[in-house]
Amino acid sequence: MATLVPPPTTPPPAPAAEAVKPEKVDYMDLPCPIPYEEIHREAMMSLKPDHFEGMRVDFTKGLNQKFSLSHSIVMGPMEVPSQSAETIKIPTANYEFGANFIDPKLMLFGRVYTDGRLSARVKCDLSENLIMKANAQLTNEPHMSHGMFNFDYKGTDYRTQFQLGNGNLLGASYIQSVTPHLSLGGEVFWTGQHRKSGIGYAARYNTDKMVASGQIANTGMVALSYVQKVSEKVSLASDLMYNYMSRDVTASFGYDYILRQCRLRGKIDSNGCTSAFLEERLNMGLNFLLSAEIDHKKKDYKFGFGLTVGE
Amino acid sequence: MAAKKSSSEGVLSRVSSTISESPIVYRGKRAASDAGFVAKKLLKSTGKAAWIAGTTFLILVVPLIIEMDREAQLNELELQQASLLGTPAVGVPQKYGSNGVKFKQKQNERKQQQHQLV
Repeated sequence: MATLVPPPTTPPPAPAAEAVKPEKVDYMDLPCPIPYEEIHREAMMSLKPDHFEGMRVDFTKGLNQKFSLSHSIVMGPMEVPSQSAETIKIPTANYEFGANFIDPKLMLFGRVYTDGRLSARVKCDLSENLIMKANAQLTNEPHMSHGMFNFDYKGTDYRTQFQLGNGNLLGASYIQSVTPHLSLGGEVFWTGQHRKSGIGYAARYNTDKMVASGQIANTGMVALSYVQKVSEKVSLASDLMYNYMSRDVTASFGYDYILRQCRLRGKIDSNGCTSAFLEERLNMGLNFLLSAEIDHKKKDYKFGFGLTVGE
Repeated sequence: MAAKKSSSEGVLSRVSSTISESPIVYRGKRAASDAGFVAKKLLKSTGKAAWIAGTTFLILVVPLIIEMDREAQLNELELQQASLLGTPAVGVPQKYGSNGVKFKQKQNERKQQQHQLV
């Protein structure tokens, strides 16, 4: 008869059960959803930083609380679309001058380039829930200028947008929060110039730690993305784009490290393309950029460095 | 006798020709050339794979290691400074955690502004 170990007393289960009682969902008080065009926002920010080739220097000088000027120099090879399979790169250098006016109710952005392009963007809060945005780009080449107006209305748990553009472009989209975590939306558009119309649906599910979103359009595009926040500084993202008309699939997987002094985003693709983008804060108001993109299939290598001065 | 002689004259050459033309030797030669071909292809494809793996590692992993190292150095420096100045160590990571969040928030704000107007 060995000494018997007394059975352990069962811990009281009551406190745990009370703490984990789920909150009752109040369907009349759902949060406002993300705007329709930003449904893939986390995935786009993590997986698609703006890679560039060559040198880029941006200088922003604030003259006022609300008004600032920006100068930007971009030098490097630009890709020219060509009929043959090889990419043709032509070294170009560009200077861009811009002015920004930022007010809580009105935002104006204007840019002028040395190759004769002019672009302007306006965002105006007409009332608390109605926002008007306009976007125009003028170029020297004929028939390449375009402009677009957007009217956004934000309700308590839905958003709608109406779009009007040149070339007889009309579009509308609507997105609604269905539960505190899930929002569903749809869009329709019609182009008069090409006589095309399209309809699309999107869904987005997000919790504190992850965001999953999907979008399907009748132009044949299916885009799914998933972003998981692994820790405060690290998040991993993956993305699948499938075109069921042209049977074209691209999957990509990337990481996004946000550390104190830098932000590093790396990505690998199913097209054999790997890329990385590093923004490092050298000093207050001074950021150093490095961008690298290697395409193993096409043997195309692009590396760039840049500097961003100003807030 | 004569038959024996004629057969014995060509014995060496016949033996060597039987050996060199025997199916075993023929098969062995073919196997050797196939093996050589496969080995050359394997070497080339290993070389290609090593090149792709190496450059991908260089682009994806090396900056990460460098940045994580710098972050660890910065942490150590702050911990040292905190212990020198006598401030409690608990307060330090929070303060700089919010700084990192500020960097991200500023970036997010800028990107959101740009995205909103696109």
